[in-house]
Amino acid sequence: MKSLRMLRLHLVLLLSFTVLQTSLFAQSDPTGTSAVTTTYAITNATVITKPGSEMKGATVVVKNGLIIGVGTNVSIPDDAEVIDASGLYVYPAFIDGMSNTGAKRPDNLPRPQNLFTPDPPNDYAGITPENSVLSQIDIKSSSITNMRKVGFAISHSVPYGRMLPGSGSLIVLNEATHMDEIVMAKDVALYAQWVGAPGAYPGNILGIMAKWRNLYRNAENHKNHTELYAQNPAGLPRPVNDRVSLAFHPVIGKSKPVMFDVSSMLDVRRAMRLQNDLGFNLMLSGVKQAWDLVDELKASGTPIFLSLDLPDEPKDSKSDDKSDEVKSLEARRMEFYKTHVGQAAALQAAGVKFGFSARGASASKIKKNVMTLIENGLSADDALAALTTNPASMLGIDQVTGSVESGKMANLMVSTAPYFTKDSQIKMMFVDGTKHVYDVKEKKAKKDDSATEEEAPAAAGGDALVGTWIYELVTPGEPQGGKMIIKKEDGKYTGVLTSNDGTPDNDMNNINFRDGELTFDFDIDAGGQSVTVVVEGSISGTEFDAQASVSVGGQSFELGFTATKDGK
Amino acid sequence: MKMKNILTLLLAFFSTMALAQVQKGDLLIKNGTVLTVTNGTLENTDVLIRDGKISRIGKGLRAPRGVESVDATGKFVMPGIIDAHSHIAGSAINEGTSQVTAEVSMEDVVNPLDVSIYRALAGGVTSIHLMHGSANVIGGQNETMKLRYGTTNPDDLRFEGAPRTIKFALGENPTRGGRSRGIQPQSRMGVENMLRNSFTQAVAYRKKWDAYNADKSARKVAPEYDLRMQTLVDIMNGDVLVHCHSYRADEIYMLMKVFSDFGIPKLTFQHANEAYKVAPELAAFGASASVFADWWAYKLEVYYSTAYNAAILTENGVTTSINSDSGELIRHLFHEAAKTQKYGNLSDDQALALITLNPAKQLGIDNRVGSIEVGKDADIAIFDGHPLSVYAVPLMTFVDGVKYFDKSIDKGDVRLYINPESSIEEVMIYDRHDDHRCLEGANVLSLEELFSNKK
Repeated sequence: MKSLRMLRLHLVLLLSFTVLQTSLFAQSDPTGTSAVTTTYAITNATVITKPGSEMKGATVVVKNGLIIGVGTNVSIPDDAEVIDASGLYVYPAFIDGMSNTGAKRPDNLPRPQNLFTPDPPNDYAGITPENSVLSQIDIKSSSITNMRKVGFAISHSVPYGRMLPGSGSLIVLNEATHMDEIVMAKDVALYAQWVGAPGAYPGNILGIMAKWRNLYRNAENHKNHTELYAQNPAGLPRPVNDRVSLAFHPVIGKSKPVMFDVSSMLDVRRAMRLQNDLGFNLMLSGVKQAWDLVDELKASGTPIFLSLDLPDEPKDSKSDDKSDEVKSLEARRMEFYKTHVGQAAALQAAGVKFGFSARGASASKIKKNVMTLIENGLSADDALAALTTNPASMLGIDQVTGSVESGKMANLMVSTAPYFTKDSQIKMMFVDGTKHVYDVKEKKAKKDDSATEEEAPAAAGGDALVGTWIYELVTPGEPQGGKMIIKKEDGKYTGVLTSNDGTPDNDMNNINFRDGELTFDFDIDAGGQSVTVVVEGSISGTEFDAQASVSVGGQSFELGFTATKDGK
Repeated sequence: MKMKNILTLLLAFFSTMALAQVQKGDLLIKNGTVLTVTNGTLENTDVLIRDGKISRIGKGLRAPRGVESVDATGKFVMPGIIDAHSHIAGSAINEGTSQVTAEVSMEDVVNPLDVSIYRALAGGVTSIHLMHGSANVIGGQNETMKLRYGTTNPDDLRFEGAPRTIKFALGENPTRGGRSRGIQPQSRMGVENMLRNSFTQAVAYRKKWDAYNADKSARKVAPEYDLRMQTLVDIMNGDVLVHCHSYRADEIYMLMKVFSDFGIPKLTFQHANEAYKVAPELAAFGASASVFADWWAYKLEVYYSTAYNAAILTENGVTTSINSDSGELIRHLFHEAAKTQKYGNLSDDQALALITLNPAKQLGIDNRVGSIEVGKDADIAIFDGHPLSVYAVPLMTFVDGVKYFDKSIDKGDVRLYINPESSIEEVMIYDRHDDHRCLEGANVLSLEELFSNKK
């Protein structure tokens, strides 16, 4: 019998042969390395060149990474691979305003011995504005393929860290043999968060705000000193080569903005307060609560990227004898959910332009979340603008990408239906002219077949997820499996994965089940190292079809994970 | 940058903040028993409020056109209660990682969404002193606020024009932090040493900047800017009022000596359970005290206490207030004030002053609030009985003449922001965990560890 123990062994092996194994694992990735031509003609397509502008029966010609023709009457080069896109829709590929795409989280610094907590070293305090996300980029990261798969061609990737982790860069979401190939623009914004140092100064927002002011004032003095010295050094002390102050010079000179990752309304206000106090150019990202900030955003014109991570829709208790108080509490909770998912539409209506940032949002949920915003009032055109033209102009790359126009980067998304409809699927991506093809599932037929099965457990008063499932994990060796047992108590799912060979059960963590989409993770011990396996997929009737991703030793792997619900 | 420039910038900053639009009300409160605090009790008296200020006090006043009136017949009208020591409405309370954090400020972390603000209003409170915690010898700057609940903008809660204040702390709390981190201070001696060292450094800092500012050369290089030192300089210049967490008479006396040595004039002792022992000395220094009515014995240094503390201090001429330091006590500070009539026979005006005029003096806002006088801000509470009676219930609370609490139309659920992912069971009337946040973020030792000789 095969088991998680086998997987463990495999992971240990994988750790030692990572490079070789990765190439074996690259599943749905026809990288284009074997492409005969890099010229493509996508013909007979419906082309949405930019939000609100559509061409039917049009051709898009891509050559050497650029769009060289768009229209109904363009000539197709001889060397072009002709792609018949009858019935397909071509969009500008999406641009993500802020995420850690491609970045690998560095190990936490060990606590220095005899740490003087009031004044820790800068790296421990999280004050490393001189760093660049490029020092954290791993070109093999699965986050690059995952983001591309859901429509993105460019991410503004920011480094992991604390209050001032370093600068973010624009990353082209392609395979590469060297990182330089996918860096579109280096260090475009200084990235900042309200994250304090563990048990050392600054420990929380109080200290971070004060530290910011102190750093900034001294950087201003340092800049003045440096300029004075550059004009004429005679009689002046040599300016210290202070990395932190130097990193602030372009911010003070306003050639580089500060991008704050601020989700709550108060966190946004605090970033704006600091901006008001110190005078740098501010960008807001990861924002989840902006509905009360419309006036401030409009007045200041601060670029804002809303988080693509949405709250789950609250579920009211089904109890028949609910008190009036519980009813009104539930109503207010729902009102806030509606405010939250309706804010994109509200901002748009108020004339505030925004983009989206993917940090914190699971790639597989992005489309569903955007659809939720559309169901709550955002127009499809405005949603597309928030994914393409708006982020392009906010990040200063609207000259080169964000729309399907001749002369721009060939960043295209090809969809089987108008993208902002439930059944649309991404069939192809062009990123910087490189073609990526995806399997398209024939959803309709499957649905009809499983309809009766799907209804059965619901009719019996059951839950589509609760019960015993037989799972199989597809590993490089032989498939391994066991039972996946899921319970629901007080509205919360709990579950375990058993192994067929009797090794200890693994608890399923972070179980999230909504609209047929199931995600969870579990930890396994791979040669003394704890490794988290993240499983994401969809349930249709009694079938669960998913992918398990493992990130280990800086490498990411994907495995197939399927499960069938036990009839009993 | 020149110090002058920094000051100009700071001034500009504060003045833009003061421009935040807050609502001002017009109102006529008819025929109430008005407890002015400064001018005795006025029966059957009207109070007219125009544009957020008390414009007239008298009998038979007419409401100008368009001005609403409230019938206060049989009811008691008092100045809004001021809590000189509170930790509600803060997103963080303590930057406990360092023993001197004069540079941090509670004004950065005001949380207007805290429902405790509404609960305080329901207890007749109109202003609070949101204090930094007490884990540090020199803690952060505090924020004096008006409880204009309903806004999401922290700036709307600012008490415009109130002087800056800062938290200091003596005794067990800062030494616990020091011991747990293995840094100074680990004893009361260390606390005093740390204070003297800090101000001595600040004197040197001031000297450096004075020399820089006096330098006429165009080619000069600014010394290192240090917001922490700058704040200490501001304290020595009398621009920042010090509110010091303290319990024992010896440490209270110690701080007065330190402040005399550094020429710092303005000082309020918070808690100060043993202040009655040094009441004449406090009066001579001009220091004031903000105390609990009858709360003690929650740690060793707070055993030697008496419920007569506030009365003894008052009789010795020390400006004294009674504070809550709690999201619960803040709802019945009028009860706390009344206790001084049981323990110490204070008059009604003296007892009421403990929660109105005196805290206003300690916060430097007594020209604006703390009594019902023409020209003062219309921060007013209306009770159905005399507020020093245990039967009294607050009915309405006004800030700047705008009604923020009205018992007759209380909605029950007044939360401003609701997490859509919260579960309904989580909602509680009162959560004790919110209560004691003065040591938030600090490593706390057990009593055994505290009094052990081992490091």
